[in-house]
Amino acid sequence: MVATMTNPLRVGLRQERVIAPQCLVIFGASGDLTHRKLVPALFELFKQRRLPSEFALLGCARRPWSDEEFRGKMAEALASTIEDDPQAWDQFVGKLFYEPVDLQQPDDVVRLGGRLEQIDQQCATRGNRTFYLSVSPKFYGSGCRSLADAGLLKDPKRSRVVIEKPFGRDYGSAQALNRVVQACGQENQIFRIDHYLGKETVQNIMVLRFANTIFEPIWNRNYISSVQITAAETVGVEERAGYYESAGALRDMVQNHLTQMLAITAMEPPGRFDPEAIRNEKAKVLQAARLADELEPWNCCIRGQYGPGGSAESPLAGYRHEPGVDPNSTTETYVAMKLFIDNWRWQGVPFYVRTGKRLAKRTSEVVLTFREAPVHLFDAATGGPTANQLILRIQPDEGAEFRFEVKSPGSGMRSRPIDMEFSYDESFGEPSDEGYVRLLADAMLSDPTLFTRSDEVEAAWRLYTPLLELIEDSPWQLPVHPYESRTWGPAAADALLAKDGLLWRRP
Amino acid sequence: MSPQLTLQTPLELAPAEVPHYLEQLWSPEQQGSMGTGANTFCLLIWQPAWAEQQLIRSGRLSGPITGQQSAPLIAAGRQAVLDADLPLSTTPLDGAVVKAVADLEGQANAEDLRGQYIDPALSALMPRRLITLAPTIDAAQPLETLVAAYCPLPEEGGGTAACGDVVVLRGGHGALHQGLSILDPLLPESMPAWVWWNGCIDEAPELMQRLTSAPRRLIIDTALGDPRQCLELLRHRVESGQAVNDLNWLRLRSWRETLAMVFDPPQRRDALSHITRLDIDVEGHHPAQGLLLAAWIADRLGWTLLSTAAVENGTTAQFKRSDGTEVRFQLMAVPVAQPNVHAGQMVGLRLIAEPENGQGVCVILCAESGGCMRLEGGGMANLELHEEVVPVQHDTPEMDVARLLGGGHDSTNPLLAAAAPLAARLLG
Ligand SMILES: NC(=O)c1ccc[n+]([C@@H]2O[C@H](COP(=O)([O-])OP(=O)(O)OC[C@H]3O[C@@H](n4cnc5c(N)ncnc54)[C@H](OP(=O)(O)O)[C@@H]3O)[C@@H](O)[C@H]2O)c1
Repeated sequence: MVATMTNPLRVGLRQERVIAPQCLVIFGASGDLTHRKLVPALFELFKQRRLPSEFALLGCARRPWSDEEFRGKMAEALASTIEDDPQAWDQFVGKLFYEPVDLQQPDDVVRLGGRLEQIDQQCATRGNRTFYLSVSPKFYGSGCRSLADAGLLKDPKRSRVVIEKPFGRDYGSAQALNRVVQACGQENQIFRIDHYLGKETVQNIMVLRFANTIFEPIWNRNYISSVQITAAETVGVEERAGYYESAGALRDMVQNHLTQMLAITAMEPPGRFDPEAIRNEKAKVLQAARLADELEPWNCCIRGQYGPGGSAESPLAGYRHEPGVDPNSTTETYVAMKLFIDNWRWQGVPFYVRTGKRLAKRTSEVVLTFREAPVHLFDAATGGPTANQLILRIQPDEGAEFRFEVKSPGSGMRSRPIDMEFSYDESFGEPSDEGYVRLLADAMLSDPTLFTRSDEVEAAWRLYTPLLELIEDSPWQLPVHPYESRTWGPAAADALLAKDGLLWRRP
Repeated sequence: MSPQLTLQTPLELAPAEVPHYLEQLWSPEQQGSMGTGANTFCLLIWQPAWAEQQLIRSGRLSGPITGQQSAPLIAAGRQAVLDADLPLSTTPLDGAVVKAVADLEGQANAEDLRGQYIDPALSALMPRRLITLAPTIDAAQPLETLVAAYCPLPEEGGGTAACGDVVVLRGGHGALHQGLSILDPLLPESMPAWVWWNGCIDEAPELMQRLTSAPRRLIIDTALGDPRQCLELLRHRVESGQAVNDLNWLRLRSWRETLAMVFDPPQRRDALSHITRLDIDVEGHHPAQGLLLAAWIADRLGWTLLSTAAVENGTTAQFKRSDGTEVRFQLMAVPVAQPNVHAGQMVGLRLIAEPENGQGVCVILCAESGGCMRLEGGGMANLELHEEVVPVQHDTPEMDVARLLGGGHDSTNPLLAAAAPLAARLLG
């Protein structure tokens, strides 16, 4: 009731940035991502009145659907959302169109050009287009090329291409793909998606750091002793075995999402809030990052794979027994590693990064642990004094938490830790935008701030090259340690921190 | 940031030659030397700068005439208020100041650079064409037309050298009217055109009418001119579906944001359905901004207007909430020691909510620059109090206009469209 009522005074206040009239073209319109994320995000933008009235969505894939069939499929997929506001859907659905296009067929793409002109006439979209490649990664390069060959990317101000993850599967292939893509258009036309960057709380790290004066002076090696970045999932591989078997946690999560969190946490302050200035700083810090032991990576990286688990009533299958997974698979579903950043700010501060499937809890967070007070004046109620920690919770229960020592009530002078909490929910009461809502809007606004630039992607791949090579050439040196489903990963990952006298934070 | 001068020394041309000259300037053959013409928007500015012109003429301010609200200009205006014994709440560039200074002796001359400065906030948006109408206080002055091309400096993001041009039409009232015929060819249909009426809303109604026909988008400032006429103009544009933007409304953004912020935490929302009183204090006798804010709140909370009355120093009204309960509203003009440049800016706001069976809540928002003694004075002993300070904005009109242009608003902001007619009705 009251708690879910939206704040009527908030409505309409965010209308600063206006999306220009345009047609959004989604390749892979019959695929999973389109109906699960993209169309719901667009419908949300529509309901928030953030789409211009001159807007069209053209779905494309090989199967020969009609406009009506496409609209029907989307209505089916979004049924529960539509229920809440059928009128809005009735208005929105008229903006959906479909054109059968095989990206491999130049003729198809030329025909697409004709259809787009027709839509420009019909919907006044003024030749302004965003092309979204939600197709298999093997078509990213050739897809861009067909668009360019058909002349659809000629005008850098009025055409842009959004590319889904993963961008390459190692340094070499990412470089090669960058070369192809950059030959099709200018860098500022290319939007490489990392949906973690669409998360409000990831962006909040920048605001927290650079809009406040109290954090930045201590955001360095003099005050911070270590940083932990965690992205834990409770789910297993689900239906994505086909893709996951060839990717693994390192490619699926670390190279992109965790590395982006690392970059935003560790980057230098940009001179101004400008996409290029921010991306310059992110690229710089990634170029300064390295594995803690590049020569013997097994000393700083642990791989794991979930085994069976759960309870007698609801047992969980191990990874190797999931449908579509090789029974002898050595694909990792868990990685933990230690990194350093070789610059003035972070010299010697370890960054511990971990991610995994089927862990005990779903959570993503960045934890900064501060150095201990130089002299312990007080007895600590809990044994030793607890180091100050700043915890930035990305999901769920988005917010931040600051842990510090206070006097424990009573006659003595004992100290104990307490948490100062900030929760998005309690303060704003309004769910933040789903990542795709923000990213789609930004792409259509031609705002690249939250998209990864070619040099960032390449720096991120290069950072993990020693590991990828090792896994390729001598996987036995980086074995996958089994761990029980719904636990916090293999014991070896705890040992990685224990060597430094530390523990993973239990979220 | 200092204003940026044009690239070329402006060229004086006969009015009839201007359109042809500019067409040549951007023709493909010329493009190598000049960069390309930005395909962005055109901005036409009515720039009377009466106070500046009079203060310079009477020797109270040194030139040149720029049309911008510089600190020396504002200081000279404040001094003139004192010297002419005007009420202390008179804003420094008010019509009363212009009138008082017009009666003073003096024939000081100064260069007139109106329209030749391009504020960095505007040039960063790479306007294709800026046209300035610069009426002179000498009504008999003949028409002069100046043109120049300019390119944004590289550090303003102009590296790609998409350039624009400026056109200035200067002269006495009659002469300017003659010159208007060249405007239409200078504002091509293919590009959005904005008209910024940077003067009193009621000073030349026919001219405004003539300049702002659809689809041109109008930018006004409802703090300039008779409040009733200001709000009526807004209402008229909104009701006839012609795009209009109001700098006075834009300056309310921190008030809207702060008030919304107070009610962001879900446990406070309930109070919004139980408001019984709304008080607003504004500077001096210009209620437009305060009424717009009240109208926005009433519209957002679904109140209907029952009655309104003028009282000494203000306005009162009764609203009805959707549950039928009455809400009392009062807007008061309060004296201030040093008034804002803009007339009638918000000083404070108080909302009182009294749920039938729950703790009453009082929210007070107070401008950082002033005191809210009246609103804080008593009657709230049993209420849970939330007080917030609303930051003062130091944005120049040019920055606010740039914000509008940059946002690409091709229609009236829906919140303003909902609030403006109600604000006009509140004035009765
Ligand atoms: N699903 C997710 O949660 C998720 C998350 C992150 C990233 N991604 C990325 O998003 C992309 C799409 O994922 P998805 O799960 O939606 O894949 P999907 O369900 O397999 O869909 C692939 C789509 O591509 C179309 N397609 C295949 N070949 C084509 C061609 N030659 N020309 C035009 N269209 C073609 C298919 O339709 P037809 O068979 O009719 O042509 C289908 O609509 C992938 O790159 C994936 O890596 C997905």
